[in-house]
Amino acid sequence: MYDTIVIGAGLSGMLAAIGRAERGEKVLVLAKGHGATHWSTGCIDLLADVDDPLAGITQLAIQRPHHPYALAGPAMIEQGIARVRAIGEAAGYPFAGSLNRNLLLPTALGALRPTAFAPATMIAGDARQLRDGRPTLIAGFAELRDFFPPLIAANLRAQGIAAEAAQLALPPTQRQHDFSPVTLARLCEQPAFRANLGEQLAAHVRKGGYARIGLPAILGLRHATEVVRDLQNRAGALIFEIPTLPVSVAGMRLYQILEDELLRLGGRIQLGGFVQRAEHIGDTLVAVFSEAAAREQRHTARRWVLATGGILGGGVRATPEGHLHETALALPLQTPDGRAGWFAPRFLNDQGHPVFQSGVRVDQRLRPLDAADRLVYENVQVVGGALAGYDPIREGCLEGAAIATGWAAGQA
Amino acid sequence: MQTLSTDVLVIGGGATGTGCALDLAMRGIRCILVEKGDLTHGTTGRYHGLLHSGGRYVTKDPQSATECAHENAILRRIMPHCIEQTSGFFVITPWDDESYGDVFVANCHRTGVPVQEISVAEMLRREPALNPRISRVFEVHDASADSFLATHSVALAAREYGADIRTYHNVVDLVRVGDRVVGAIVEDLRSGERIRIDCTYVLNAAGAWAGKIAAMAGVTVTVVPGKGTMVAMNHRMVNTVVNRCKLPSDGDIIVPIHTVAVIGTTDVHVPDPDVFGIEPEEIQFMLDEGEKLIPGFRQYRALRAWAGVRPLYKDKDVASDRDIPRTFKLLDHEERDGVSGILSIVGGKWTTYRLMAEQTVNELARRLGNTQPCRTASEVLPVPRFEHRAHAMVTVSPDPAAQTPHYWLGKPLALVESEHAAGELICECELVTRDRIVAAIDAGAYNLDDIRRDVRMGMGPCQGGWCIYRTANLLYERRCADGLSHTHANEAILHFLQERWKGLTPVLWGDQLRQARLDELIYAGVLGIHRLRALAEPGGGLVTQHPAIATEYVQA
Repeated sequence: MYDTIVIGAGLSGMLAAIGRAERGEKVLVLAKGHGATHWSTGCIDLLADVDDPLAGITQLAIQRPHHPYALAGPAMIEQGIARVRAIGEAAGYPFAGSLNRNLLLPTALGALRPTAFAPATMIAGDARQLRDGRPTLIAGFAELRDFFPPLIAANLRAQGIAAEAAQLALPPTQRQHDFSPVTLARLCEQPAFRANLGEQLAAHVRKGGYARIGLPAILGLRHATEVVRDLQNRAGALIFEIPTLPVSVAGMRLYQILEDELLRLGGRIQLGGFVQRAEHIGDTLVAVFSEAAAREQRHTARRWVLATGGILGGGVRATPEGHLHETALALPLQTPDGRAGWFAPRFLNDQGHPVFQSGVRVDQRLRPLDAADRLVYENVQVVGGALAGYDPIREGCLEGAAIATGWAAGQA
Repeated sequence: MQTLSTDVLVIGGGATGTGCALDLAMRGIRCILVEKGDLTHGTTGRYHGLLHSGGRYVTKDPQSATECAHENAILRRIMPHCIEQTSGFFVITPWDDESYGDVFVANCHRTGVPVQEISVAEMLRREPALNPRISRVFEVHDASADSFLATHSVALAAREYGADIRTYHNVVDLVRVGDRVVGAIVEDLRSGERIRIDCTYVLNAAGAWAGKIAAMAGVTVTVVPGKGTMVAMNHRMVNTVVNRCKLPSDGDIIVPIHTVAVIGTTDVHVPDPDVFGIEPEEIQFMLDEGEKLIPGFRQYRALRAWAGVRPLYKDKDVASDRDIPRTFKLLDHEERDGVSGILSIVGGKWTTYRLMAEQTVNELARRLGNTQPCRTASEVLPVPRFEHRAHAMVTVSPDPAAQTPHYWLGKPLALVESEHAAGELICECELVTRDRIVAAIDAGAYNLDDIRRDVRMGMGPCQGGWCIYRTANLLYERRCADGLSHTHANEAILHFLQERWKGLTPVLWGDQLRQARLDELIYAGVLGIHRLRALAEPGGGLVTQHPAIATEYVQA
């Protein structure tokens, strides 16, 4: 019997688990697999399209009292972010940024993306610095199919940044084929590979006088900060990473430091446990059953946190007939009325698609409610993407809302 | 204005138009073909990929059945690389009229469609996923065909014989002097330049758009655009084409093709071939029909829905569009309407494209005094360069032992592994390597949709999540020296994402809905493409937004 079982190993679930473990509870994270952290940028987005995210969040909480930010409250947002930053600091992977001013970081297409906090390995890419008139080099490897310097540089130039593109020669390695971002990240942690890379970058700097160099976010898995520091010394220019397509190395790093912290605090993580049904007595959740090899496995706990995500994470699923359901505990969902209202005609319209705001409605303590506002379970809290009434991708609050609600659930 | 001169101007780059161009060129008749989009941009690129045995038409349209049976044998010979020998079943399910079985067989014999009844046990041995409650099974010579590849092969052969084939050339007007059509004004959609083409004959092979072309000559051709909706499922749950043994109806056929199985089709009269929608009810109906053939059909992952418009020619009043004959007709407008210099070839189907071309060109040759015989039934078609040997539908080899009748799902993967090309995969769902994408670009693909038609990039489960980004960058790197700028590359991505979205929304549930959300995370989140909207514009030869080729689906 655990004190708390957290279902789901994404950002919100890990934050809730860390919070509970810190209080001395016996905690298990039970998850189907790694969460959506591995797909994201590795940055902490609080709120896009505003200069001051915290002010924007305060405003939003007034206008939308059911938004996860409003439910979590400003103190939980600030404390949760502070905790993640402290974990990063202790792990030698610090985050820089501000609650009150968005950074603008280049994407792998050369768009400028607002985010509140970024790992130190990306911070030199802030557009306000890049626009200082000094030349920037965007460099990659032809062998890496997830990063193409010429278009990034061209789009940055069109936005007033003096960027040029170059392809680097892949340093000698025993590996012959298939250079994924993860493979390259591991190679970057080898001194000889990195030395060769550093020499090439230095040669470009000597020739082009670059003040900054943007590289794909593949500069190490466990020791990225050192890799970047070393390459900066060798190249004689500032270096910044640019997040690549999933699987995102920077997202893996963020997950890794949280996992390390949870294990350090005595928490446990069980992956491969796909929760399929629940057992309850009245409004108390007693046990859940996860899929296992030849039978179901029964897990018991006093308290529960549901952090399975929305449609992206797999916590909410749709049938061909147009019904949406919550996969782990079969909780009631708030969804658009009828399938006809699920989508907008244009994929990249400004508002996003209503279906992706489907989720669980909760009370002020994040406990699940049914359509008639009755509490479903008194000992369950719902966090992150599984919550109804917001679009974390379009609002640019994916990490922020996950951290705020996850941290809140860990403290209550 | 630049002026070109030729014997025959063919309008339409589908199966019929390219087939006519090849036949004309083979006989030494000069011809220019203009197509407003890419080759197969119209109906040819939007059908389920069935090489008809003729079985579907034995009762309602016997002439069409006979033509299909005849052409079926010829196409297997001249384009073996485009045809997978799946064979086909007509099955009587508990929902069908048992007595139609004997009628079907008798009509097959009458129309010359080869047929053989097999036992239900034999059917289940070969296709275990089929409904065991099926009561009778008739085997016919159905097959699946790659209509994109076939049309490219025909066009390649036509070019080798001297035909001038021009894609993204839209006919703006026909030039008429008195009662004679003497040429056309066409616009090159990539450059915006207009060209005058003088010709002895205009051949209107515009399919569902033939009425629009005929109107430019001042004559009326009533083409009923019959919308057929299809759904691609991400499994080859059968390796044999499966038809319901009944009169043709909606959702009564499943065609295994490449990596997917396609269920089709509906038949809905639409007023305009460029404006139509896909209704959720159509999809639900087809899934229900699919369940009758393959229990559990709904549980498979649906990849995408799309619709094509049949070019049905309406000669006289018929009750329903399904009753319009599926055979083709060559219209001589001089005899019919008193306007000379123009012929229209209307109706028909992909399987009979070659026969349509033969009869059309026979008539044109006679008028032009050309006495060369038709040779399209005997000359084997060439294979385009972007079609890698491993990805062809089947292995074509002079050595019978090496010849494979079936598309083998593991073959492309085995090749990628043997060449250590896993890191070179740009489209990981359909196993398309960097080399093939670059070859398609170099062969003249102008935008991402062209590349998709050539190599299947973006057609798998992720619907372009990873490969749109990669392919757009390859297009940019390959063509930036020819004037393709970053604004065009951005536009290419935005346009293709929207093109995919149109076909996705009707089938988004389960994993495919989750996938769409992941694609949104990638493009609106990680890459922020929507932030580059101000830096996106059509141009650079992309031809993504010209009204002549825009097919904007109506929101259901």
